[in-house]
Amino acid sequence: MADSTAPKPSSSVKLVLLGEAASSLVLRFVNNDFQENKEPTIGAAFLTQKCNLPTRTIKFEIWDTAGQERFASLAPMYYRNAQSALVVYDLTKPTSLIKAKHWVAELQRQASPGIVIALVGNKLDLTNETSSSNPLGEDGDGEAAEGEDADGDARKISTAEAKSYAEEEGLLFFETSAKLGTNVTEVFTAIANAIPETSLKGARGPGASQAAARTEDQSRVNLTGPRDAASKEGCAC
Amino acid sequence: MESLNETLWDVVISGTGLKHSLLALALSRSNKKILHVDQNEYYGDAEAAFSLQEVDEWVERVNAVSPSNFRNASLWKTTTSNESDKLSFSRAYTLTLSPQIIYTRSKLLSQLVSSKVYRQLEFQAVGNWWILGEHSLNRLPNGREDIFRDKSIDNRAKRGLMKFLKFVVDYENQNELWQPQADSGLAGFLSSHFQLPPNLQNVICALTLSLDAPESTKVSWSLPRIARHLTSIGVFGPGFGAVVPKWGGGAEISQVACRAGAVGGGIYVLGIGVKESNTSSEEAGNITHVHLSNEDVVKTRHLIQYPAARSTDAKAVSKVIAIVSSSLTTLFKNSVEGSPLAAVSVIVLPVSTVIVEEASQATPIYIMAHSNETGECPAGQCVLYATMLYSEHSKQLLDAALDVFLARVEDTPELLYKLYYEQEPEEENEAQTESLDPSLDLAFNDAILEDVESLWKTVIGDEAEQARFMRFEDREGMSADDDELDEGY
Repeated sequence: MADSTAPKPSSSVKLVLLGEAASSLVLRFVNNDFQENKEPTIGAAFLTQKCNLPTRTIKFEIWDTAGQERFASLAPMYYRNAQSALVVYDLTKPTSLIKAKHWVAELQRQASPGIVIALVGNKLDLTNETSSSNPLGEDGDGEAAEGEDADGDARKISTAEAKSYAEEEGLLFFETSAKLGTNVTEVFTAIANAIPETSLKGARGPGASQAAARTEDQSRVNLTGPRDAASKEGCAC
Repeated sequence: MESLNETLWDVVISGTGLKHSLLALALSRSNKKILHVDQNEYYGDAEAAFSLQEVDEWVERVNAVSPSNFRNASLWKTTTSNESDKLSFSRAYTLTLSPQIIYTRSKLLSQLVSSKVYRQLEFQAVGNWWILGEHSLNRLPNGREDIFRDKSIDNRAKRGLMKFLKFVVDYENQNELWQPQADSGLAGFLSSHFQLPPNLQNVICALTLSLDAPESTKVSWSLPRIARHLTSIGVFGPGFGAVVPKWGGGAEISQVACRAGAVGGGIYVLGIGVKESNTSSEEAGNITHVHLSNEDVVKTRHLIQYPAARSTDAKAVSKVIAIVSSSLTTLFKNSVEGSPLAAVSVIVLPVSTVIVEEASQATPIYIMAHSNETGECPAGQCVLYATMLYSEHSKQLLDAALDVFLARVEDTPELLYKLYYEQEPEEENEAQTESLDPSLDLAFNDAILEDVESLWKTVIGDEAEQARFMRFEDREGMSADDDELDEGY
């Protein structure tokens, strides 16, 4: 739909998920849905969702681990060509950020050098900061410390700790609630904005520059004929 | 780590090689409880792909006592201080144990399409085929017009060649011509029936990718392979008849197939193997107890693993994976208008092309050259995969073959890296005398798919009738645009 009306260039971006309950964040983003105790997505090869920016449209191709991270059995193909990654931790679990740091290190080892990584602390709804319109940054942390009903706060990882780690590693940083939808769209918009124009390939639509078609596309063999590829690009947009 | 032993598994699959990964793919929509383990820390088993550092570790393991169908691995790295001839960092490389080409008519491709996993793979063309002659590297004629134009073939041989090409694509209907010679060598058949001179016998035999000399490559084995080669050209575009998946060939298929297994609910554990198993008939339904290498004991209805015993006298192959300091652009140059840029090129060294002090080359050598487009090496370099039948001198012969080849191509590339190893057949094959084990075939052998299908039937049992092998609907589309999926919530 967007392709036929808007002249904006549209590109596919592979985004890989890592960490705790990352699927629930994506379900909120893609379907505006939330399920308690969401298991790793079974039956979904990947989910797609578009993100409209002022100058272009990013079509996220969101890859779930399909549970393969549980026994450390993610294959190199999972990280291959990923332009972005979402590393989620549970801000109510003390050990959760440690695991997230492990995934960040794994991404730095296995993924392409230019990958955009967003570190996301989820379950903001279990803290007493949910009313804050901007739970990010020093303000949020300060409020928590001064908050009167600190008893109801299940937070175990402070914003400051995670944020300073994210800054050290050059990661985008957000705190979200998949349950309430807080900050979820913002995460994906920030990722979309952070992806450098030059790394976008397979640009589609009328505004797409020819330069985006790199030599690798000259060697690609289509097993299903050009018709299939065209219909795949044409629909669902 | 979560516990694996609380579940009664429908099937435990041990090993993530190509065959077992394809089985996992075939079972990925069956709703069976599947535990898929691999004793290695990586996917792919005998079809894995490695970074340079992973190769180091692999070489150590192969040469240790651990049972595997690989042996005598050795590694050589350049020590040059020349900047342009240096190896890049370890992960800039994906060297594969599984560089076999896949003919466009292989059922593997149609099954990867019908099972929808092809969307996660990128296929590239196997473009030019070359034959290393005494003085030069010659491109194999690509079709009839090429043959007519080829000045190196005299008219008598041209007529014979045309006659043979016409015959071979229709060989199934001309049994009377070749059946009496079925068990004879291809060389003699081409000479007596088509008056082809030895150099053209070599060309024809090269198309079979036979590891035996043309004299001992059987006619009945050759004809279907030559026909496959010729009829595969043009299926997915002009100028090529085979493809290779980017990022390490069979290794990539194995990873994609295992991911499909995981998406279907299968549990994946690397670094755990099967130590032993015993089946008790006392329990209902023949439950097998599988002892895993992490001391867990899991229960399953089916256990699929590779046969433990391997025959030692079966045909083995010698292989070299080499990295060279040139992009070898002329090898991959388009020879047919409108064809995709070739990422893989096949170079054939017929019998007696190279000689080492101790012995002459009694069987052909094949070099699959992979450009950096395959994602296996950085720009400005190439990966060469050389194969020949194992013999006492095969290691030296492969070395000599690489030297001769590199001396014939442009800008005299340097060797940067060389991994030598030997590979034994996967299966104990009683009828080993004539054909090559599918796991050693230089082209993907569809016999592997027959094995996968029969294993699939074993696991699925009575349901096999209804379910269709490797035919699935697309899974993706669970996006906001698809309303019908939202209704489920």
